[in-house]
Order: sequence, then structure tokens, then C-alpha cells
Amino acid sequence: MVDQNSNYALQTSEVYVHYGKKMAINNVALNFPKNEVTSLIGPSGCGKSTFLRCLNRMNDVIDICNVKGKFLLNGNVDIYSPDIQVETLREKVGMVFQKPNPFPKTIYENVAYGPKIHGIASSQNELDEIVKDSLHRAGLYEEVKDRMDDIATGLSGGQQQRLCIARAIAIRPEIILMDEPCSALDPIATAKIEDLINELKENYTIIIVTHSMSQASRVSSKTAFFHLGNLVEYGETGKIFTKPDKEQTNDYITGRFG
Amino acid sequence: MLYLSLVLVFILSYSFYFYGKKRALSLKFKKNENLSSLPDYYGYYVVLLVFFPAIIIWFFLLLFKSNFQEMFVMSPVLFPDVATWSSGKFGLIMNKISNLSMIVNLSEIDLTVGDKSILKMASESEIIAAKNLANFDKIYGWSNLTLFIILPVLLGFLATKSISGKLNAQPIVEKIISYVIKGSSYIAIFITFGIFFSLVFEAINFFRYVNFMDFFFNTAWNPNRAFVINASEGFDQEALKEAFGFVPLLTGTLLIASVAMLVAVPLGLLTAIYLAEYASSKVRDIAKPIIEILAGIPTVVYGFFAALSLAPFIKDVGEGVGLPVSAESALAAGLAMGVMIIPFVSSLSDDVIKAVPQSLREGSYAIGATKSETIKKVILPAALAGIMGSFLLAISRAIGETMIVVMAASLRANLTFNPLEPATTITTQIVTSLIGDVEFDNPKTLVAFALGLTLFVMTLILNIAAITIVKKYREKYE
Repeated sequence: MVDQNSNYALQTSEVYVHYGKKMAINNVALNFPKNEVTSLIGPSGCGKSTFLRCLNRMNDVIDICNVKGKFLLNGNVDIYSPDIQVETLREKVGMVFQKPNPFPKTIYENVAYGPKIHGIASSQNELDEIVKDSLHRAGLYEEVKDRMDDIATGLSGGQQQRLCIARAIAIRPEIILMDEPCSALDPIATAKIEDLINELKENYTIIIVTHSMSQASRVSSKTAFFHLGNLVEYGETGKIFTKPDKEQTNDYITGRFG
Repeated sequence: MLYLSLVLVFILSYSFYFYGKKRALSLKFKKNENLSSLPDYYGYYVVLLVFFPAIIIWFFLLLFKSNFQEMFVMSPVLFPDVATWSSGKFGLIMNKISNLSMIVNLSEIDLTVGDKSILKMASESEIIAAKNLANFDKIYGWSNLTLFIILPVLLGFLATKSISGKLNAQPIVEKIISYVIKGSSYIAIFITFGIFFSLVFEAINFFRYVNFMDFFFNTAWNPNRAFVINASEGFDQEALKEAFGFVPLLTGTLLIASVAMLVAVPLGLLTAIYLAEYASSKVRDIAKPIIEILAGIPTVVYGFFAALSLAPFIKDVGEGVGLPVSAESALAAGLAMGVMIIPFVSSLSDDVIKAVPQSLREGSYAIGATKSETIKKVILPAALAGIMGSFLLAISRAIGETMIVVMAASLRANLTFNPLEPATTITTQIVTSLIGDVEFDNPKTLVAFALGLTLFVMTLILNIAAITIVKKYREKYE
């Protein structure tokens, strides 16, 4: 499965994940094309979030979680290799969580946090520019430009989530992982985030876990359907939602289970 | 006898629970009445109607027992001039009679015949009164016991009789219970105020002797000067002015508390960070209770640890490097106290660090921050308010601590900020001013209350600050 095709931002194969003795992912192979949006869908507990968290090694912090498999970044970097520092990996693979989790700091400090840690800006001016640019790309700049020094937890839920996206892109990642980014938001805030995803795919590869099938069909070009830790079907989003090959997929997207 | 009847009240009123409930159930099943409340509540209803009237009467009889005794014993027949006695004389004679009444064979003494030696100790009428008193006590006890068998049973049957399907017992029971609960919490509040006001009134007495400004702003503390007496006008005003200067006590207290905080803050905070972020849950489950034991060691043990081990050691080390160290240095007391308050800092800080949401940690890791960066830049700032709260609670504990400083610190007031010199604290001086045969009519004793009040206000302010800060922190995440 894994070839040296550089059109893929991330290639995975033979992925197995266990929580203690319980199997969460069973022999999954999936490639993510560059500058495209891939949706991971499936019923609760199917392993889609677990799989997503393997891609930036967020499962490392969970003691009982055991990840096996091949993960290649840009066709040549094995992200689970002992030579790879997990912090450097996460600089390239950013993440946005289900619940907005801004730090209890100012809006400015939230966005500047990553660039400061990774030493991205050479001067205060450059840092200001990065913060401004990231907020701009996250579609939040106009709303917060006059209150950069306010505490971020005072923003609305949708604004907080866009701030978290700004925080993620401030370190200029190549891939952004999104774990149900809209599940805590109202429809208007959700629409804004979806527009944002459409814009962001120009520059980033996006992998999004979602429970909303309409969202998957709106934002993604590729869709993967997970069930009970198995990858059931993967393909063009249009095809998955109109003429899926597997009956299981058809049952799920038509709402017969899950 | 009185206490036996108290036990009776409890047992009898509780047993009526079953009777009341049974009655309610029999109404429901045998007479097909609809009950307005759940059957249990009829049981409680009867219990409360028995218990409260009985217990109130019991207290009343206990409280006024001595009044009844006096009325019965001090009759004008035996003591014709009793109405003219002062209350002091009345009490004295009553006391004597009550002591006489405890003579085991009193009733066998016949004053008309035989040995009259007892008359050397007491007058004839006193002995008769004592006999009366002994009889009175016996009758009072037995009638009390009888009363508290009859009364609860009577009340119980009446209350049970009054049960009908229409009687809605639930709101009545809940109202009574809510009064009981309210009453219990008010008792704690009243006691707090009682303590506060008893301090205030005695402190006011102290400030009759000593000027308010002299007390708070003078820099010399020589309470023994208060005993300089002028033949003509009682206490020597000049000496009083110089006796009680609060400032060296305040600096001593702050000096020792600062040493303690210098020990407890870094050790406690680093312990908390280790426990909350690095230790495995196994280590944490074992280590946390062990550290908390430090706070449970009796302070007197810290006291002799400081006085007998720590102080000589510090003195030796100090002399080794050529520093003059006193045998009762503030440093020794402060170090021991610091060890004692480590768990205040570590346990509370550990809790607030643990309370920082996991999502913030993940957010920071996802940006590629390391664990230590995450702790420094996200976790600690987020938990800062709670951590500050734990510091303030530890300070107020350190300032109020008594036993360690009584044993390890000096008794001599010394206005200094050098921890190698001896220093004394507010609490130590409270203890010394109350040691021995004391009377509360001179400023040397009364100063304890002024010091206690000052200490009370200081720790109160610190506690309020701590609680406010911790509360503010909680609001942020909940």
C-alpha cells in the first residue's frame, strides 16, 4: 500500500490500535491526498477518533493505548520512528478538538503560544504579523482586532473554535486534524467553520472526523467509513454518498443504523 | 435518674415510629382510606410529636432543678432570716447543705439522741435541710423517671390517634426537620460570634488600662513592667505605656511565618506538580496520604523536634561558618513549622492542578509543546488562583500556630528581621500571659485577649482572601 507517491500528505497501512486488550482499530490502511479534505465517518465507538489521534501521536499520553502500523508523512517520514520528536511532528500536524479549548490567556497569547514555543518568529513585529495573519485566515480577525488583550474564554463557542483553528495554523502545519470540530456549535457557527475549511484546504491537508453526514458531503472530497474498528469503505465523497459499494455503508448513510 | 429518663425519651419516641406507620397502613388497607402522604411520614410525624415536647420538658426540668431544690430546702421555717441573706451567703450555705446531703448515713443520724459531734460542723437546721434535700433528690429523680415513661407513651397514643387519611403528615414533618437543620447550623454561627464577642469585651477591658495607639505602635514589649504600682493611683501610667508594644510580636510572628513559607511554598508546590502531573496514579495514591500525615503529627512533636534537634544543629552549623546563631533562633521554629504546613500547600495545589481540564493539556500538546512547557505556560497559570489560595491558607495556619513556637521560639520580644536571632510570636505571648495563677483584673493577663483578637482578625482576613480567590478560580471552569 505504502508507495513513495508524494501526492499524499500522509500514508498509513497495517494500523492496529489496542486499549489494553480491547481492539480499537483493526488493520486499517488509508492515504490522505495533499490539499484535500478527507472525512472519517462512522457510528460512535467505531474508532475514527482513535485513528485520527494516531496521526499526531496524541494517543502517546494514554498509557494503555498501544499503536502499531506504518505512518508516513510526505512519503518519507515515519512518524512513529524513535528518531522523530513528537513535538516536531505536531508542529507539522496540527489538531482542533471537539470542544473548543482556548487557554485561559488573552486572545493574542493563545495564537502566539505555538510560534513562541517553536521559535517561529524572529522579532516581536513578525510575531504580531503571524498572529494577525492566523486570525485572519481563521476568519476571526475582524471580530477580535480591537480586543486582542481580552481573555479568550470570554468569546462565544464558535469564536473560540475559530480561535483554536487560528492557534493551530499559527505554527504553519501541513496537516490539520479536526475531531468533530462543530459538534459543540450552533448551525450558524458551524456554517462559518465549514466555509473556513473550504478556504483552508488551499494550503493545508485536512482530515476531519464528523458525525454529520451532510457536513462530510459539504466539506470533503474523500470519505472513509469506519465500523467496529474496521475501514469498511473509502472513496470519493460523491460516490460514497450516492452509490456506495458496501451494503453496510449504504445502511449507515441512509440512517438505518448508527 | 435524669439521664436515664433522657434515654427513655429517645427509645420511646423512636419506637412510636413503627406504631404510627402501622396505623397509617391499616387505615389504607383495612379501611380503604386514601393516605395524603407516604406511610413513612406518619411514623416520623408521631416520633416528632413525641420527641420534641418530651425533650423540651426534660431540659426545663434539668435547667430548673437547682431552683426547685432551693425553693424546697431554704424554707423560712428552717431559716427565718433567709430573705435578708446576700446571694453570696445564700450560695455558700446551699453549697454546705448539698455537701452534707451526700453523707451516706445521713438519714440514720438522730439529732435528739447519741453522738452530736456532727453539730460542730453544721447547725441543726442545716442538717435537717440536708436531709430534706436528700429526700427531695430521691423523689425528684423517681418522679422524673415516671414522668418520662408516662408522658411519651401518652403523647404517642394521642398523636397516633390523630392520624387519618386526610392528615397530610409530609409537610409538617419536613417543616419540623427543616427547623432542626437550620437550628443546628445557627448554633455553629452563634458560637463563632460568641467567641468573637468574648474576645472583644475582654479586649475592651484591656484598652481601659492601655492606650490603643501605644499598644499597636510601641516597639517594646515588657509585660512585667505592668506590675510597677504607684502607691496612690494603682498602676503606674508611665510603666503601662511602655509595657505593651505590639510591634516586635508582629515582626516576630511574620519573621517565623516567612521562614515557614520559604520552606513550604517551594517544597509543597513542587510536590503538587509531581503528584498531579508526573506521578503514576499508583504512586499518587500512596504518596499523597503519606504527605498529609505531616499535617496530622501533633504540633508538640514538631515543637521538640525544633527545640531539641533542629535548633542545636542550626547553631552548630552557624558557628561552623562563623555566624552568631541564637539557641532559640526564629529559623529553627520557622523550619519546623514550614515542614508542618507543606501538606496544606501540596494537597490543595495538587487538587487545583488536577482540576485544570484535560482539554487544555491536550490543546497544548497538540501545538507541539512539551510537558514542562505545558505545565509552566498553561497549567500553572490556569491554576494560579487556586495555588495562591493554598498559600494564603498555609500562611494563616503558620501565623496561628502556637505549640511549635512556644517550645522552640524565644519568650523575649526582639524587634528583628534576622532569622538567626531569637524572636517571639503573638501566640507565644498569649500563652505566657495566661500561664500560672492568673486573675483577669490586670493588664498583663487581659493583654492575651487583645492579642487574641488581633490574631483572629489577621487570620480571618487571610482566610477570606483565600476563599475569595479559590472561589473565583472555580467559577472560571464550572
